[in-house]
Amino acid sequence: MSWPADAVALCTERFGLEICEAEGPEVSREQVVELAAALKNELDFTFFVYVVSVHFAEVAPVDADEEKGTEAIPGQPDRTIVHYRVRRLSNDSRSTDTFAFRLTVPTGEATPSLSGVWLGADWQEREQFDLVGTIFSEHPDLRRIMMPEDWPGHPLRRDYAIETSHFPWR
Amino acid sequence: MSGHESAPAPASDGVQWTTVGGVRVPVELLSPTLPDPYMDIEDYDPEGDLMVLNMGPQHPSTHGVLRVKLLLDGEICVKATPYLGYLHRGVEKLCEKLSYVQITPIVDKNDYVSPMMNELAINMAFEKLVGADVPRRSRYIRTICAEIQRVGSHLLWLGTFGLDMGGAIGGGGSIFMHTFRERELLLDLFEDLTGCRFHYNTHTVGGNRHDIPAGWAEKAIKVLKVVGDRLNEYEDFVRSNQIFRARTVGVGVIDPALAIDLGISGPVLRASGVDVDLRRDQPYAAYDEIDVNVAIDTGGDCFARYVVRVAEMRESIRIATELLGGVPEGPICSLKPVKLPGAVKAKHGQAIYSAIESPRGELGTFVVGNTERRQSAIPYRCKIRSPSMHVLQLLPYLCPGNNISDIIVALGSLDPIMGEVDR
Repeated sequence: MSWPADAVALCTERFGLEICEAEGPEVSREQVVELAAALKNELDFTFFVYVVSVHFAEVAPVDADEEKGTEAIPGQPDRTIVHYRVRRLSNDSRSTDTFAFRLTVPTGEATPSLSGVWLGADWQEREQFDLVGTIFSEHPDLRRIMMPEDWPGHPLRRDYAIETSHFPWR
Repeated sequence: MSGHESAPAPASDGVQWTTVGGVRVPVELLSPTLPDPYMDIEDYDPEGDLMVLNMGPQHPSTHGVLRVKLLLDGEICVKATPYLGYLHRGVEKLCEKLSYVQITPIVDKNDYVSPMMNELAINMAFEKLVGADVPRRSRYIRTICAEIQRVGSHLLWLGTFGLDMGGAIGGGGSIFMHTFRERELLLDLFEDLTGCRFHYNTHTVGGNRHDIPAGWAEKAIKVLKVVGDRLNEYEDFVRSNQIFRARTVGVGVIDPALAIDLGISGPVLRASGVDVDLRRDQPYAAYDEIDVNVAIDTGGDCFARYVVRVAEMRESIRIATELLGGVPEGPICSLKPVKLPGAVKAKHGQAIYSAIESPRGELGTFVVGNTERRQSAIPYRCKIRSPSMHVLQLLPYLCPGNNISDIIVALGSLDPIMGEVDR
């Protein structure tokens, strides 16, 4: 997978981002709206493909054990990685270049909503809020979309206990 | 909530007002992204001219359990708010518990009108993640199945679209009976190939499970010819029908710029004049070995969507017939037959996305592999990007100003499948 050259140039030159060959650049939360607007308005990435939040539960650090000979494993904070992908549709060249970018949010904090840039992000962000619990600030209508309004918790979190019974549905 | 006397006078708040069908309503209320869906109508409409009507979740023309909250002025819709989630089954959560081989029969139930497409979409993503090749014969079988499935899906759409218009075509639901007769022939083909009429579980990581049986290709070509001939009958039946034209021409016009911004793809976008088709632009399976002529119409209304779908059926019949004539010999799966569900393992934990052109648009799958040794046969996160969900986002923009009967026609022409929206 190779990314379109103009989008790569935009990210590296103007925003100073490193491009990952498989997953695209990692953006900071402060820059993401600016990057999205530049992608849409300057480079014509008008079609919003997806936003997916992937939750990673907290991992406690493991100390090195000299008797067993195991090495220390660094701990990981409780965090969510939000992946975005956009597509360029052009009638004349028939290219369908896609460009992906992602950002990391500590769980419980908010990330800016991109629904102001692409209308298509509206319901997908609501879905990710509902199922994974990512808070998109300045989203016009951040309500649950799939689960009942009074559902406790966010089912697609990795630490969500699926065996727990939820009155009155289970 | 308080009665009319104690309700705040709306005009004194600096609210801007407009008129819809003779009723004074605040401009703010008409915004398609109004945040408060539980608004008290009395605050906005002290004279009581507006009415809230819930269309669905059990309504014959919402094609599933879609609920649309309509704010009505008589027969005219002022505002529409869709509500989803009545068919949410937690498919993505299930994907985090099942192995790559076990997921295929689960996703069959997403877009239950075209199960072949779901299997193909998710297995293409898994193959990328696992690093499995697909043999050429399998790619041909996949493409043939996909095209036959597209015809079957559009046939079902045409039949139910006739029902949505109150059986306007030829009286009663006659077009429905006709299209279901032809769809049955296609389902028989799939039954011969896989043993099932729906929910085939025929695609697997690295290829297909079922090879083409003897004589199937000839039978399929014959059936596709019959369906192609019957399509001409439908065209005589429908295209010049005065009632059909009166109900569809100029109804539910979609602006292409808005459609792209909302992430709408597939026939709905192509009927608004945007020339995009992933089969041609980003070939997968065997589409790089055959030309795909993409059907475009610039009307943007319900009739244009009918025209595009019928043209797509013809094109699919042509593609499937051509491919059936030259299916290459060889293996149908690159991996050994799977005996254990944990046999297929991801090689890395990076995000993978792959998309296909389903009958409803861009059907994509996003997968993150699990790198833990004991979990490597199970996805870490799986998301299905469903085209129907984006199409439903259009309703708040499409409905205002239309009759209820036109809303039903417009909704039918979008062809949403709720199993895919709610997942």
